[in-house]
Amino acid sequence: MDTTSSKNTAALPFSFTGRTGEYFRIWIVNVMLTIATLGVYSAWAKVRNKRYFYGNTSVDGAAFDYNADPAAILKGRLIAVAVLIVYSVTVQFVPATEPGFWILFLIGLPWLVVRALAFNARNSSWRNIRFEFSSNYREAIKVFIGMPILVVLSLGLAYPYFVCRQKAFVVNNSGYGTTEFDFNAEPGAFYSIYLKAFGLLIVISLLYLFVIPAIIPTAGATDTAPPAPPSPEMLMLALLPLLVIMTLYMIFMTYIQTATTNLVFNSSRLHDHTMISTLHTGRMFWIYVSNLVSIVCFLGLLIPWAKIRVARYRAENLVLNTRSDLDEFVAGEQDRVKATGEEIAEIFDVDLGL
Amino acid sequence: MSLTGTYYDGSTSRAEQVELSISGDRQVHILGGSVDHRIHLDDLMISDRIGNIPRALELPEGARCVINDNDALDRLLGQLDYTGSSTSWIHALESRWRYVVLAIVITVVFSWGMFVRGIPALADQAARALPTSIDHVLGQGTLKILDRGLLDESELDSATRLRIQQRFNTMTKPLEDGNHYHLEFRAGKKLGANALALPSGIIIVTDELVKLAKTDDEVIAVLAHEIGHLIHRHSVRMVMQDSAVALLVTTITGDAFSTSTLVAALPVVLLHSSYSQKFETEADRYSWNYLVDNNIPTGVFADILERISDDGETSTVEKYLSTHPGTQERIRMFRMGSDPGFR
Repeated sequence: MDTTSSKNTAALPFSFTGRTGEYFRIWIVNVMLTIATLGVYSAWAKVRNKRYFYGNTSVDGAAFDYNADPAAILKGRLIAVAVLIVYSVTVQFVPATEPGFWILFLIGLPWLVVRALAFNARNSSWRNIRFEFSSNYREAIKVFIGMPILVVLSLGLAYPYFVCRQKAFVVNNSGYGTTEFDFNAEPGAFYSIYLKAFGLLIVISLLYLFVIPAIIPTAGATDTAPPAPPSPEMLMLALLPLLVIMTLYMIFMTYIQTATTNLVFNSSRLHDHTMISTLHTGRMFWIYVSNLVSIVCFLGLLIPWAKIRVARYRAENLVLNTRSDLDEFVAGEQDRVKATGEEIAEIFDVDLGL
Repeated sequence: MSLTGTYYDGSTSRAEQVELSISGDRQVHILGGSVDHRIHLDDLMISDRIGNIPRALELPEGARCVINDNDALDRLLGQLDYTGSSTSWIHALESRWRYVVLAIVITVVFSWGMFVRGIPALADQAARALPTSIDHVLGQGTLKILDRGLLDESELDSATRLRIQQRFNTMTKPLEDGNHYHLEFRAGKKLGANALALPSGIIIVTDELVKLAKTDDEVIAVLAHEIGHLIHRHSVRMVMQDSAVALLVTTITGDAFSTSTLVAALPVVLLHSSYSQKFETEADRYSWNYLVDNNIPTGVFADILERISDDGETSTVEKYLSTHPGTQERIRMFRMGSDPGFR
């Protein structure tokens, strides 16, 4: 650990030190205890899981830490499950109430998002300084209720703008101790991502339309022959379009996700420190596809391996560029004051992965 | 005996390299840079070991001393007979492969038992506890939705309808299970030759099915199968089983992460079809019993099943799925007619 490296200008790479064998054991014990306790242990499992990934991710020689209290998470999960049961039972038996639930959910969304981000931020720390998230409800309502309406009215054209505002909301309200994060990406950069993604989609669709029928002449023919038991080849042919569409969709989503992640990191700054994320779509796509295939083939036993791979790839492609000392950050005061309403609020933070 | 660590006071992000030593009487001394702290071991909170991540010794005022060398810390605490937190035993499970193998076995056996026996049994119990009025609400809405798009008015002649209606009445009259049995004739359109049972007692039979049947007995066999679904309250049980599976799978696979969400949907779908096959068997058994009790040859159900599965314009994939061994097996059992351990 070299503290002089954090003086003045430096490029500090993130690193991930989690190991598959080690994590596999943690994961399977989590699963077993969760099942054996009929889900009660899941709150402890979540904390152990997150602590493992945070604790193995480090920058400038110091690891991240996750400090959430499992008992608070359990309380939250119980209420979340109760809400879920009330919702699904009511909707099953009185389908007419479904729109009512959706309206309720939409109204509650800004609050849920803010509480989730705040819970996660306040329970994450680095060098014993917690991250913060300021509860800006007015802005949250604009971004999570106002913007979706704009997206609908513009027939989807405003969607990249919505994503931009959403990311800006998250970054601008986040802080490390008393130091705030700043987001400086322009909506144009998001439009560029979505335009490229749709370009990619069109090119691949054209390839699909012209190349597939050329390879398989029978694909377009109608089936007029008397019903015979389908051969495995026939089945493969019938499933091929489905497979192609799924692949297409995954490439499309991976590109958008990767490009957006890079853009968000590269446009965020903390005081005068910046970050550089260099994720590559092709590499990411390969990781996702091979993860998916291995998880399915090995009945879920390779989930730990898959998670470690993703975390390692992400950390290895993230660099913190510092312009000044990293020792000067000051802790915020909020975490020492416990608001009364906070307990109920923390509860819903739990099941909102963002 | 001493360890190296990094000290963070909790008010700024400054790191101080420190030496940590513990004496035999459990006095901890943290020394280095501007830090010189003496504290009793029992006043420290030491975080549980997870894998090999750095562990924090939390001091009462919010400062932390982070130790990277887990093994050295464990040795030191071991010599002092330090009993960790109430959850420190979990690391012992995680660090030995024999417990891990045990965990795999327990997980597989338990989830298998839960999905195959536990959930269906719980759903069955819950369905018994629920009043039948719930089924009525569930069924009424469904018929309206079906009438709006999927079904048309029946074009069967009234003589045929009356014949089937009378036999249906004879079948359902002795049943006192809370359902109000009611037969509805509809043109099936895209549904083709089919019969549906809606909770509360509504049974829909399509014109196509009645026309496909060579005798009324064949229709009756299908109706008996549908009544079987209603008597066993399969709709309510299915709703509960599907929700329970989704809940359990989400709990097991844990927090959302891009590929596992897709993977988590797979067992839900697979189990749904496995559950519905079991319900089909239960309904078949009811139909079988009815046919035998009323001296109708069980082969009639095999005949109509066979014709339904040959009928209709289905794509290759659908055909493949519908001619899965289940249907063939059902046809074979009803055709043999000699109760092949089915009852």
